[in-house]
Amino acid sequence: MFFPEPVLHRKEVKDVPFLILLLLLAGTLILQTTVLDYVDVLGIKPDLIMLIVVLNGFLLGTREGAFLGYTAGILEDLFAGGYIGLNALSKMAAGYLAGMAGLRLFRENTLIATGVVFISSFAGNSVYYILLSIVGIKVPYFYAFFRVIIPVAVYTSLLTPLIFRRIFRFVQLKDRDI
Amino acid sequence: MSWATAKRLFCLFVLVAVTLWAMHITVPDAAEQAPVESSRLRDVLAPMQKGLTWLSRQAHFVVSLPVSMYRAAERNQALEQEVASLKSQLVRQNEYILENQRLSALLAYKQVMEQEYDLMAASVIARDPGNWFATVKINRGSRDGVQENMAVLSPEGLVGRVVSVSPSYSEVLLISDPRSGVGALVQETRTPGIVEGTLGGSGMARMIHIPKNSVLEEGQTVVTSGLGSVFPKGIPVGTLGKVRDEPTGLFQSAEVKPFANLEKLEEVFIIMNVLPGAGSSPEGG
Repeated sequence: MFFPEPVLHRKEVKDVPFLILLLLLAGTLILQTTVLDYVDVLGIKPDLIMLIVVLNGFLLGTREGAFLGYTAGILEDLFAGGYIGLNALSKMAAGYLAGMAGLRLFRENTLIATGVVFISSFAGNSVYYILLSIVGIKVPYFYAFFRVIIPVAVYTSLLTPLIFRRIFRFVQLKDRDI
Repeated sequence: MSWATAKRLFCLFVLVAVTLWAMHITVPDAAEQAPVESSRLRDVLAPMQKGLTWLSRQAHFVVSLPVSMYRAAERNQALEQEVASLKSQLVRQNEYILENQRLSALLAYKQVMEQEYDLMAASVIARDPGNWFATVKINRGSRDGVQENMAVLSPEGLVGRVVSVSPSYSEVLLISDPRSGVGALVQETRTPGIVEGTLGGSGMARMIHIPKNSVLEEGQTVVTSGLGSVFPKGIPVGTLGKVRDEPTGLFQSAEVKPFANLEKLEEVFIIMNVLPGAGSSPEGG
């Protein structure tokens, strides 16, 4: 499934309106704090911000993924209050990883995107867990991995098929406009 | 390594270092107010969150209506039976209260459990966006007289405490949050310990620092101990789950399932005032 030349070229990257993404992230953040409590499974809600960051990173590249992850994370941190930087660094890592996957894998397949979301979400939340222990918040390993990191990765990646095509088309549309 | 790569690496290093530093200085202190800019940002979004929470609650109600109707008859019967048994229990308990009053009058014992609170109802309008922490935002703030470190209850039991207050909203740290600690004791055996949160998403807590020599069983009740002066004494917290030894070997720890349904909180009560005489240490005897 490897693709020698990335389908999307670097050129269109700069033209994806960052402001729209930012508005999308703000809207998602509000959803995340309100509506998503009603769709939780075993107390776990999917991380929509992570989903948007990872998919955009996957389609746009490492630098954009990391940047978007950092911005989205900072927004989330400011919003949640306290520990400014926890989400920023972990989502930056996830976005970067997704960008690396995007450079090496076939980017038009939803199944591959789902896998990338799983891995990136897992990695991002693991970074979060490490950062938590740096700030002195102790969470038992078992709870961290089996009650948050893995379930969130599964739940978030299962949502990928719902929005991947849309984001993909959005990015492609921008490409054609140029 | 080329100059460009080196420059990029350096920028990344600076960014990560600055963020780590920001993270350290923004660690919320229990005694301090939340950072001003973030609490302002939260207030801006609050009305929107309020509306959306209301909407999703209605949607949830409509979607789950057929299921709850289906179960209603069965539940009704069970509840009637429970009411009957509880009524008889209440009569017995009134007996105990009267007996207790007589005996304590004989001993001139100052009542510890005579707790009257000034409660204020509040509505939950938003939750923490992530799965790690457990905080909720409620629609009462300093304008309503809410202050930091006030205890928050639900009809079932302890919910948490207020950690930051803005004029119209405040934030409550739930007992399942890993940053939360509550002085508690096991009701039946009077064994002391600390109820600590595990993870926001799990809705569970655990009781740590339980003396090794105490014998505990699953299903025993945990109540607040009144030590630490944040939570008044005797508020029900939860029931004990599995008990195991702590790795240090000096203490035991146990899972605690909170009475309050922390994942689906809608309305809560804030203890505005503990009336005199409540929760104070026993005297005389």
